[in-house]
Amino acid sequence: MQTTTSSGLAPRRQPEARLIELLSSDLPRRSARSGRGPDRLGGPDAIVAEGLGKRYPNGIEAVRGISLRVGTGEIYGVLGPNGAGKSTTIGILGTLVRPTSGRAAVAGFDVVAAPKDVRRNIGFAMQEVGLDELATGRELLVLQGRLHGLSRREAARRADLLLELVGLESEANERIAGYSGGMKRRVDLASALIHLPPILFLDEPTEGLDPRARTAIWETLERLNAVLDATVLLTTHYMAEAERLCARIGIIDRGLIVAEGTPAELKGAVGGPNATLEDVYLRVTGRGFAAEETLPAELTANNGREAA
Amino acid sequence: MKSTWPTWLLTKRTLVQFPRNPMVLGFSVPPVLIMFLVFGALFASVRHLPGFPTDNYYEYLAPAAVLMTTIPGIANSAVALATDFQNRYLYKLLTTPASVGSIMLGRLLADGARLFIQGGAVLLLALALGAQIATGFAGALLMLLIGTLFAIVTFGVLTANLALKTKDPAAVQAVFPMAFLLIFLSTAYQTTDQIESGVLRAIIDANPTEYVLRAMRGLMLTGYDWTAIGVAFLVILGLGLLGLPFTIRNYRSVYR
Repeated sequence: MQTTTSSGLAPRRQPEARLIELLSSDLPRRSARSGRGPDRLGGPDAIVAEGLGKRYPNGIEAVRGISLRVGTGEIYGVLGPNGAGKSTTIGILGTLVRPTSGRAAVAGFDVVAAPKDVRRNIGFAMQEVGLDELATGRELLVLQGRLHGLSRREAARRADLLLELVGLESEANERIAGYSGGMKRRVDLASALIHLPPILFLDEPTEGLDPRARTAIWETLERLNAVLDATVLLTTHYMAEAERLCARIGIIDRGLIVAEGTPAELKGAVGGPNATLEDVYLRVTGRGFAAEETLPAELTANNGREAA
Repeated sequence: MKSTWPTWLLTKRTLVQFPRNPMVLGFSVPPVLIMFLVFGALFASVRHLPGFPTDNYYEYLAPAAVLMTTIPGIANSAVALATDFQNRYLYKLLTTPASVGSIMLGRLLADGARLFIQGGAVLLLALALGAQIATGFAGALLMLLIGTLFAIVTFGVLTANLALKTKDPAAVQAVFPMAFLLIFLSTAYQTTDQIESGVLRAIIDANPTEYVLRAMRGLMLTGYDWTAIGVAFLVILGLGLLGLPFTIRNYRSVYR
């Protein structure tokens, strides 16, 4: 039961609490509305990639055989230098980039054969925000929700809630063109959440945000993960972000996963209790593929060894 | 979700946003109206030539002025599409179940609706200048429909494909002059009888715009010529089917 304030009014509940209430309701949110059945490649894992490769028409081989599995409800982090292949990998999994080899399934659906089914089950916040600057924040979210099949009322309700959650309720009806970079990042993330997707792809979601906004995003993701059991695959350059959020981390370099494990496992592998994730990162990526030899076999990805 | 639903949502998005970009409306209507007035005055004496179908040159010119509104005007769709690429909003839309086709069509239909109304403004000006529409209000609507659909399937699809291919608004704007070629190489300003060059006549006969213009002019000057109207719709359908494979191919290029 809610308590009342001295004014007699019920205190405004935190948006997080209302989001949890929303998520706990019986809204249809996980159904893959397709006649086709899930791809068996998917199995019980939310995200499966096997030997993914991408060679762009200009000859650049951005991804050279990445295999990974992300369990339902897991937060999986992808670290790696600029140009390592992180965005291409997440782009393939999010159906925006076509792989040239290998295959992948998201929510049980093949990303090439059933991209629409994949899209119904994912939210995607890209590295560079993708916003309609003529729209208001609220309009953007409502449209995104409607395109995902929500009713007008439901889309509006969720838009208001999410805008409050990311601290943009007072700017909800202002045009996005007038938002600051951080505000754009937050509304972009909110738009990826409007349909409460079971799987989230976040490409450097807190890049350019101030520490407070970054922490707010982290807390939101943790709640979503806890309440919705949402699977999250995120790329980041922030070690603290990876360490706080991710159950497992894959480090990509030159189109390959060169190390994979829990943060503790990765740190343990480079020696000593005082090792940091940054130590692991620098050691693995700083030495190129030879670094794999210095890591225990169970932490180096098979695909990385094959390519090396 | 039916594919028409995202198309409608995206059409609505564009319609709602038109007033927020007043430059599009402000700069697209007056030049055509001015051109209509200037060309009408420049070539007014043509109406005295034997065999010219009307005494009021504005009546003759009005269908061409409608096309002058709709054909270049539809390219705004492609510019907006390319802009959505540049600000990466298009990729955000592509992560939803909406298809590239819905995104493109949503934009074209919204701009088509705008141009339908803007074409109507041209006809109102013609009426104000003493012109009459032989088929009345219904014929005017049909004339605007033909002009708008033709613009969508020709220049609209061409420039939208260019936007899909180049993702660059400047590249789309570079083909704007082609719109005027489509119109100038027709009987937009004078009848075939007055054109001496056999080559030019052959070009006019090969220009699909000419067949659409004939149907529209018939509605303006004489009445419902169902043969001409049928030919115009066949031209629209044929060009639409012709553009389809290119469009499908360019859809695919959106996914990198």
